[in-house]
Amino acid sequence: MSEKVLELKNATIKFGGVTALNEVNFHVNKGEICALIGPNGAGKTTVFNVVTGVYPLTSGQIIFNGDDLAGKKKHQITKLGLGRTFQNVRLFGEMTALENVLTASDVHKKAGLVGNLFGTPRARREEKESRVRAYELLEFMGIAHRADQLGKNLPYGDQRRLEIARALGTEPKLIMLDEPAAGFNPAEKIELAQTIKKIRDAGYTVLLIEHDMSLIMGISDRVAVLDFGQKIADDVPSVVQKDPKVIEAYLGAPTDAS
Amino acid sequence: MMINLRDKGAKVWDGWNRPTRTVFTLVVIAIVALLPFAATWGPTSFLNTPITSFENVLVYPVGMFVLMALGLNIVVGKSGLLDLGYVAFFAIGAYTMGILSTLYGWNTWEAMPFGILFAMLAGVLLGLPALRLRGDYLAIITLGFGEIIRIVALNLTVTGGTNGIPGIPNPPSIFGIKFDLMNPAHYFWIVVIMILLVIWMIRRFTVRRPGRAWEAIRQDEDVASLMGVNTLVYKLWSFVIGAAIGGAAGVLFASKVMVIAPQMFNFNVSVLILACVVFGGIGNIWGVAAGAVILAYLPERIRFISDARQLIFGLVLILMMNLRPDGLLPRKKREKIKEKGAQ
Ligand SMILES: Nc1ncnc2c1ncn2[C@@H]1O[C@H](COP(=O)(O)OP(=O)(O)O)[C@@H](O)[C@H]1O
Ligand SMILES: [Mg+2]
Repeated sequence: MSEKVLELKNATIKFGGVTALNEVNFHVNKGEICALIGPNGAGKTTVFNVVTGVYPLTSGQIIFNGDDLAGKKKHQITKLGLGRTFQNVRLFGEMTALENVLTASDVHKKAGLVGNLFGTPRARREEKESRVRAYELLEFMGIAHRADQLGKNLPYGDQRRLEIARALGTEPKLIMLDEPAAGFNPAEKIELAQTIKKIRDAGYTVLLIEHDMSLIMGISDRVAVLDFGQKIADDVPSVVQKDPKVIEAYLGAPTDAS
Repeated sequence: MMINLRDKGAKVWDGWNRPTRTVFTLVVIAIVALLPFAATWGPTSFLNTPITSFENVLVYPVGMFVLMALGLNIVVGKSGLLDLGYVAFFAIGAYTMGILSTLYGWNTWEAMPFGILFAMLAGVLLGLPALRLRGDYLAIITLGFGEIIRIVALNLTVTGGTNGIPGIPNPPSIFGIKFDLMNPAHYFWIVVIMILLVIWMIRRFTVRRPGRAWEAIRQDEDVASLMGVNTLVYKLWSFVIGAAIGGAAGVLFASKVMVIAPQMFNFNVSVLILACVVFGGIGNIWGVAAGAVILAYLPERIRFISDARQLIFGLVLILMMNLRPDGLLPRKKREKIKEKGAQ
């Protein structure tokens, strides 16, 4: 039996009258690429938001690597090893690409304000190491030539790639990608699929929200399907693909233009 | 068409090697240190101020405003927190000096660490609850805090009520350099040293973890925390460092003017310091320093036209904010042009 990195138990969250997640039981195994799909408004992004501490659950539990995340602050959850990207790109536009990644990698540094003011050996070593690492991550995402450009000035595709690099900067045990291929052309999607595989092969666990079925089916180990805040399927891609409930959910409700 | 001073300056500086930069910095510091003599030297005598002597104007308001504007800039410019009660920390520093010296006989240098410490403590006490709020709420709370400190000073016996505290001693001399009424230039040099320390500190922070954390918070606080920045702690730090600088300025101010009273620490001071920051260019230390110099010096220089003075001051502000809404020297856009390979 594989080890669970993340587990949602009866996770429920209500926004006023809207039940965005309804008694969702869901988990991600260590080392896999798990996809989360479902029609627009199904509650996929909300899963990311409750896991990363943006909203507290109305009821239920979220376990990450054995820790209950209830009551933990956003930065504490990140430090535990959860990295994420955003459906609508949210880079630090006035920082360079390298600084974007550095800011994220600061989460594991020991030297704080005073150490950095006086330039203690530890502070300098950490700074130097994280610069090397940040540059590696930019290279990994194929945007090292953008290192000194401001986030807001990057082309759209590179902004999406930088978001992934920034999330990797936090050294996550689980990286959560929210529609990373949105707005990509087919060639770019194929390339991104390769990158996501590379990320998994580098030892990270990946949770992926995506609309493009061919991309999902090609790389995912497991697919969970949400519809109106409820999980309606959870299996290997080939099975989910043929599940009548899934087909109905996608045909019955208008899907996202991806 | 506006000349882009900031980019021109940055370009020239980037083109220099280390020794050139060092020499340039030393020359600038030397020129600044010689400023007190500018009013008596022929070619620059037009700088002289009509009512208060030029050397005194250099200490207060000019030097002190630069110092405080740099301190407030850490709060407003770096981490994007609107503080409308910055004068509170200045007042706390000044009253610490006033009380410790008149009641316990401490001198300026002994009182200085405590003035800074008390200002920082006040920063923590105010910041811990206030920094959980955002934007407008924070502005209102800090504004209220500034007023509370002044009103407390107005009503306590230990602070002398409306009369304030008279008889605060000048600083004792260091290395034979005397601090008294006859030598305002010496105070100016102390202020310059404090300003240099603050600039050094800000520059250190900016390129490292604290600067990045502040920048991230300013740009998108939610994303900053999702990327692992402990936003409350870093906001508190920026607040407390700003407070420390205000406190230090207050201690020196009190021991120069020798008498302090509550009306010296009213809301106007907070607004003026904030105006220096905005006028000069929020987030850019050189802009902020230049803004503070201009806004502190100008009213003194045109004091001879008395009543019209405030009008002209206001007009300059309005004109400037229309022509350069981002300030004299806008925040540095930290993009390096040398791009490798790409189009
Ligand atoms: N902060 C919020 N306040 C109110 N409703 C929300 C909020 N966030 C999400 N919702 C609602 O929850 C449902 C699920 O949204 P979301 O998770 O963004 O869907 P998607 O699957 O497209 O990512 C939607 O009906 C949305 O309107
Ligand atoms: Mg979504």
